[in-house]
Amino acid sequence: MECVITIELGTNAVRVFAFDLTGNHVASMKGSYPTFHSQPDYSEQDPEQMFITMLYVLKNLLNEKIHPQKHKVTCICFSASMHSVLAVDNNGTPLGNAITWSDNRGKKEAAKLKGSALGKKIYTATGTPIHPMSPLIKIAWFRNNDKERFRKAFKFLSIKSYIIQQLTGEYCTDYSMASATGLMNIHTLNWEHDALNYAGIKTDRLTNLVPVFHSPGKLRKAYQTSLGLPAGVKIIIGSSDGCLATLGAGVWGEGKATITIEDSGAVRVVGKKVLQDEKQRFFNYLLTKNCYVSGGPTNNGGVIFDWFAKQFGDFKNPFDIEHSMDLLINEASKVAVGSEGLLFLPYLLGERAPIWNADARGSYFGLNINHDRQHFIRATIEGILYEIYSIGKTLQEHRTIRSLSINGSFASIPFCAQMIADIFNKPLNVSKHSDSIGLGAFLLSAIEMGIYKNLDEAAKTVVLPDSYKPDRENHAVYNKYFKIFESLSVKLFAEFESIANLQRTETR
Amino acid sequence: MNQFLLQQGISRELQLFSHIIEFALKKNNTIQLNSLHTTATENLRIYYVIDGKFEWIIHEQPHILYPGDVAMILPGQKFGGGKGFLDIGTLSWISIKVNKLEPDENLFPGKWSSLSESEALTIGKILLLSQKPVLVKLKEAGTILENIKTELFKQEIGFTTRVNQLLDELFILITRQLTQQNNSRRDFPQTFMKLEQALRHRLSYQWTVEEMAALVGLGTTAFNEKVKSYTGFSPLNYLINIRISEAIKLLKRPDGNVTDIALDTGFYSSQHFSTTFKKLTGYTPSEFRKNNLPKK
Repeated sequence: MECVITIELGTNAVRVFAFDLTGNHVASMKGSYPTFHSQPDYSEQDPEQMFITMLYVLKNLLNEKIHPQKHKVTCICFSASMHSVLAVDNNGTPLGNAITWSDNRGKKEAAKLKGSALGKKIYTATGTPIHPMSPLIKIAWFRNNDKERFRKAFKFLSIKSYIIQQLTGEYCTDYSMASATGLMNIHTLNWEHDALNYAGIKTDRLTNLVPVFHSPGKLRKAYQTSLGLPAGVKIIIGSSDGCLATLGAGVWGEGKATITIEDSGAVRVVGKKVLQDEKQRFFNYLLTKNCYVSGGPTNNGGVIFDWFAKQFGDFKNPFDIEHSMDLLINEASKVAVGSEGLLFLPYLLGERAPIWNADARGSYFGLNINHDRQHFIRATIEGILYEIYSIGKTLQEHRTIRSLSINGSFASIPFCAQMIADIFNKPLNVSKHSDSIGLGAFLLSAIEMGIYKNLDEAAKTVVLPDSYKPDRENHAVYNKYFKIFESLSVKLFAEFESIANLQRTETR
Repeated sequence: MNQFLLQQGISRELQLFSHIIEFALKKNNTIQLNSLHTTATENLRIYYVIDGKFEWIIHEQPHILYPGDVAMILPGQKFGGGKGFLDIGTLSWISIKVNKLEPDENLFPGKWSSLSESEALTIGKILLLSQKPVLVKLKEAGTILENIKTELFKQEIGFTTRVNQLLDELFILITRQLTQQNNSRRDFPQTFMKLEQALRHRLSYQWTVEEMAALVGLGTTAFNEKVKSYTGFSPLNYLINIRISEAIKLLKRPDGNVTDIALDTGFYSSQHFSTTFKKLTGYTPSEFRKNNLPKK
């Protein structure tokens, strides 16, 4: 049997999947790598450890699940988290660690650029919100604060580009990953002059731009041998996690949106046109020419419920957070819709879309003497999902959304899925696959192999069995509370800033 | 409870216990200047607060101890009163001679102990790695000390065995408390990150799964399962992963020979390094280095 391998270089782990040519999941394995926080705003990963972990997991999967069955690997396709930056010297050797999407060291640079006319111009051209996550800002930070590394850097790569270069010898960046750097013009598909100028670099310090179907040459001989792969196995550069999660969720065409909630979350729509937002609230990432994945990201997804469970959950066995969460969900379900007027703003990690306020902080609001522990549990979940809704609602200023597809470990908890349907007042489907990103990468490979004609046809093959219908009465209750949530999220601007400043000085 | 002071070489009660250097209970009713100088000894000292509030400097850090708290001072660490004197209150302490094993100076109890060799090594390692000399609310330690006292004074049949067993028990109790106090029992990612740091910090050390599990405060079976489901790897494979990643970084630099790199990153020989490295990457370390050294 022939199979396709997809490799997802995620935020905390690499996930390797094998699919047969009809898209059935054959095998999967993962391997995690750490994130280092050497300073409060820093968030880094070791490129060599990511590379070795990827090789190790791939090798184990091949040796344990693929080779013994005599499956033939025809194609390997990559995906990765967006916004990472790794400087390498002219030998391709990393200059320090890679900086991940959640790194905030460039917050001053970002704040300064965001309000300016240049910032607006760059956002319009590149589609990436001006934010410390953006490689544009990170490279500018190097130029201002790490001159040695900036000077020595032969190229600035994404983690994915580095790993592909290690495997094949070729430097390249696909349009999807590039469209999340704040450095590529998403209309012309070239590196954007104004952005490069701001970052202080020329195109020679980036790589060639290539379509997501591009094959960057063959695997180096040593890896062919050690992995036991045929010489002809095709490498496909692939896309970003966000774009592929959307494709893998089968959300294609007008009227549909996809909601992904893992630790963080996002609401995304797909369209042939860039979504131009005056207030710079949305990203526009490119899957293929004229195919834009637009939407808004939140910092405060499942990670907030994790936090809640760690603080207030019951632990039967050490570290058994899954069990603790099950109990909490069970308790939350006993409370009436709307938590009898207890509201939660989930901004424990500051927030991106739609308020884009790094100083935003969490809060419980409306507390009265009759509220008990169970109300807090339900209010916490409701607050996380109100925030998702506020992104969806803002997106609806630009696009009509008639139905939803959801994926991610938090969103696909049945209790949460039903709540999303009710809050949005839209029918929704839950992805069958636990990993939509892997499936998206498979679909991309299948198009390249000629199995599907195009993205539309590929997306239609995604089966979405679990469906939830909205309850109109529940929606009416949620909607009343959401109005208060929405006004609180912007009304507290000055207080968010004051408390965030105080917290910074107190913890120094 | 009556005061007592037993000292090795002086008190007959300690004749059969050459490893117990000092064992005492003191009620301090008045403040006497210069009554608690800063000292460092070759012994492991354990203090238990029965009553009062004590301000001490342990290993250069100030600590305040309340009833039920335990302070553990490792050999060579400095210990003294915060203001140079002993605060008012009641406390008990015991000072025990421990061996130091080369090359890591790992602590190891003497022949008196009936701990198994591997568990004794693990306990020694955890005590040595501990950054926190104070254990909060460990009343069981007080009970053990009281029992030791009773055995020493009554000298009934089997008392030598009992005293040594109680000492083992004290070590086990303190070690368990250390691992639980240092780790949230709820947050595995955070706990694993701490372990990761400890592994990286001493990459050349031949870590065992038992030691890693003990650092996290789990039994080996639960630890194996937890690490496997969180990282996708067994603990030892995860360690190999870190070792190879660090080795790659060193191989990409022009300095240092391959054997040194192998030993520094925890492989027990260059042969072991070479085999493991090639299995994973397809290259021997030397080939890998040749391909990656700066082009002239």
